[in-house]
Amino acid sequence: MQSRWESMSGIRTEFQIAAAVLFGMSALLSWGQAGSANRSIVKSAPVEYLFPEQVTVTAGKASEVALHFRIAQGMHINSHTPKDEFLIPTTFSIPEGTGVRLEKTSYPAGTEFTLPLDPGNKLSVYTGELVIQARIVSTAGNHLVEAKLHYQACDKNECLPPKTIPVAIDVIGK
Amino acid sequence: MKRNTVVITAVLLLLAVFAWAGWANWEYRKQTAERLQASVAKGELVPDAAGGAAYLSPLKDKAAPAFALEDLNGQKVSLASYKGKAVLINFWATWCGPCEIETPWLIELRNQYAPQGFEILGISADDLDRDDPQKLNDEKKEIAQFVERMHMPYPVLIDGDSISTPYGGLDELPMSFFVNRGGRVVATQMGLTSKGDIETKIKMALAE
Repeated sequence: MQSRWESMSGIRTEFQIAAAVLFGMSALLSWGQAGSANRSIVKSAPVEYLFPEQVTVTAGKASEVALHFRIAQGMHINSHTPKDEFLIPTTFSIPEGTGVRLEKTSYPAGTEFTLPLDPGNKLSVYTGELVIQARIVSTAGNHLVEAKLHYQACDKNECLPPKTIPVAIDVIGK
Repeated sequence: MKRNTVVITAVLLLLAVFAWAGWANWEYRKQTAERLQASVAKGELVPDAAGGAAYLSPLKDKAAPAFALEDLNGQKVSLASYKGKAVLINFWATWCGPCEIETPWLIELRNQYAPQGFEILGISADDLDRDDPQKLNDEKKEIAQFVERMHMPYPVLIDGDSISTPYGGLDELPMSFFVNRGGRVVATQMGLTSKGDIETKIKMALAE
């Protein structure tokens, strides 16, 4: 009986050591990766498409899809209706010939934003999480759509060139 | 026997996880190092005296790369034609808010220091569609409208993207290079700073 208990205890100890080592290695891995995150990486991808990756809609019928994006902290992009004619609006599009047609796009209203060195000039921008409502009509079948989001990002001191990112969505028309 | 099998399997599984984690971490670090290397070649951010970040360009203390770009009238303007003058090469774009903020400062400083032999070359980094004459014409018009709105008195050149590589990539705007009378870059600036900072660098370009 004692031998059985010792053996059970031995297994438990081995597993505890193994779990501790695994935890330590994971923590080390996370620390290493977090420490490597730097400003230039954030600036190379200021907007990220989050979800959905796949939607199922009724074929031939207009369906609403909410597309979620994340704008990097400290950055902003112009809204769809910027207040200055020279600023580049954020636009979403779906190329033709994909089996999915973009019938209408509803953009959220921009948030008012002023640059610290130009407090009199109010900009209309998106920050944080951005949700664009797209009304799509799909033909029957499975369509791997590569939609596009065009935007121009800045922080309070500098701007990045305009950019178009792919928005990959698997649209299943049933 | 059964216990040994369980323990050995668990240890092998853990070793496999460690090996995978090590490989993934090495791969990630390798990619990060490559990106960092590319960024250093383009210029990097270094801590400044005020505790912020200052832009350090690899062009600092080197000869300003030569160029000849068109102005809005289609005339070629070369950097070489400004030899003997201190020149601020200012890259900007119509869609760049911070560029718009610093432009009035640049105009004031240009007017103030022009008698001492100082000039600004404003280089637009707006995209130009050279394959579509109609679009190209519209794009030039838009740049001209912006220049008119801002009342820029100095030469404005277009197609800054064509010289972006020798000038470090122009990944962020505004970006400025302060060139002394001998054609050497004595200071650089990325992003919006202050009129005082720009003036200090203009004085450096005029003094050296």
